[in-house]
Amino acid sequence: MPALLTVSGATRRFGGVYALRDVDLDVAPGETHAVIGPNGAGKSTLFKLIGGQLVATAGTIAYDGERIDRLAPHRRARRGIAIAFQDSPVFRGMSVAENVMVGAHAITSAGPMSAILRLPRHRREETRIRGLAAQALDRAGLSPWADQPAESLPLGRQRALQVARALCGAPRLLLLDEPASGLRGPERSALAALIEQLRGEGLSILLVEHDVAFVARLADRVTVLDLGQVIASGPFAEIRTDSAVVAAYLGGPT
Amino acid sequence: MKWAYAVAAVGALVLPVVLAPGQLTVFILLGLSAMAVVGLSLLMGYAGQVSLGQAAFTALGAYTSGLLSLHHAPPLLALVAAPVAAALAAVVVGVPILRLRGHQLAFATLALQILLLSVLSGAQWAGGAVGLQGLPYLSVGGFELDQDLDYAYLVVGGVLLVSLIAHRLVHSRVGRGLRALATGEMAAEASGVPVGAYRLLVFAVSAAFAGLAGGIYCFFLGYLAPGSFPVLLSIEYVVMAVVGGLGSIAGALLGAALITVVVQLLTSLATQPGMPSYAPSVLSYAVYALLLIAVVLFVPKGIVPTLRRSL
Repeated sequence: MPALLTVSGATRRFGGVYALRDVDLDVAPGETHAVIGPNGAGKSTLFKLIGGQLVATAGTIAYDGERIDRLAPHRRARRGIAIAFQDSPVFRGMSVAENVMVGAHAITSAGPMSAILRLPRHRREETRIRGLAAQALDRAGLSPWADQPAESLPLGRQRALQVARALCGAPRLLLLDEPASGLRGPERSALAALIEQLRGEGLSILLVEHDVAFVARLADRVTVLDLGQVIASGPFAEIRTDSAVVAAYLGGPT
Repeated sequence: MKWAYAVAAVGALVLPVVLAPGQLTVFILLGLSAMAVVGLSLLMGYAGQVSLGQAAFTALGAYTSGLLSLHHAPPLLALVAAPVAAALAAVVVGVPILRLRGHQLAFATLALQILLLSVLSGAQWAGGAVGLQGLPYLSVGGFELDQDLDYAYLVVGGVLLVSLIAHRLVHSRVGRGLRALATGEMAAEASGVPVGAYRLLVFAVSAAFAGLAGGIYCFFLGYLAPGSFPVLLSIEYVVMAVVGGLGSIAGALLGAALITVVVQLLTSLATQPGMPSYAPSVLSYAVYALLLIAVVLFVPKGIVPTLRRSL
């Protein structure tokens, strides 16, 4: 089966420093692919190249058979790529449900005129968005908090909220940026269970993560980055014994 | 909050009839400010953009209406053209300047207004510093609005219209996108929100509201001059928006009403016999500054959002 996402030769230079050098990576349909590596390995840079928050110095990114590396982030979202960021908080001043409804932007298109004139199109889409949001909230286990201010949720539920927002746009590829970082034990396992459930439903997931146990539980395949380059790639059981990986990362005090 | 809206509605309908002629003028000017402030509050509260030159769009709207009616365009067409011209201008200048953030954008909009005022003062076709005179009254289908009372109700209608548009915009897919980008631009964009286009949209909408206020102003007053749209007017709009509460339509209306009444009281104080000639401008600038500082310190979210939370 052709890959859903193919990153080829991705390179990103900041001045004279390579944050990422000639990185290849692909995500097959239905696969959960994890990218791990020590701090400064280039994980976040790779993530932002795929999401469109950064532009590659060289290399290409193809999604669903088409190049997307020159598309603005919101256009990538419309193609079906959804992102949950690590360091981007929930939308403050909006309820949990409203936060999730923002995610439906990727698959809806009613503009300002239809909103101002309250055209049938606006009404139809609002109904649809509400339905999608209710489903996404339910899948993420957040329904009981739907009407609460998003910023009042504990961090673990805020991460789940980001996943729910992503799901509301019916994505085909979900990008998760260090979803487990900063979470406490039970929050971490709840989130892992949610991701496991999505994986079971056949969603393709690219997971950038620092926590090796989290990755071991969830990933079909793991790509290991160090100093901006791929040093190993394969199922977790294989790469954990790879000497380069052990030296660079797994053997280190994590 | 329901009763507050009821009081406001009754006030807006009854006040024009009971107010003395001089107070009726103040009422009309208050309504015009309120229209511009509703737009500015959207811009500042939802798009996170500060405009210190919003009165430039009021001026653009007013001059559009004025010039068109002087050239014998039907007055209603001239009035409709005011928000359209202001919105178009906002789109044209918005593409480059909305790339700026925070203080830079504030100064860029301020610079635009100063530029516009100096162009208007120098332009023969716009009447120069004297401005446009002998403008007709607004007339719709043979009915001429030649009484202050007519304009008072026209302004009430205008405020209702912009409030309704703003309300519907905020409570929609686009509105949720706007609210999201105000606090999480990167995440909003990754959710499919076209951040740049939405910023431009709010900027254009806010300009259209200010432009419509300018259009009504032109017909109400019957003459226009660059001096009618000083930078102080832009600052007044900002203070009104902040005092009432950014991103709140009710806040914009309350802020406009409150500041207008305070300024009127101070102006009548400053023009008492025996006050120095600079008293009015000193008092108004000083009061804007003091109010802004007080609100930012003690009610940082503005009056209406703070009341909402404590009720």
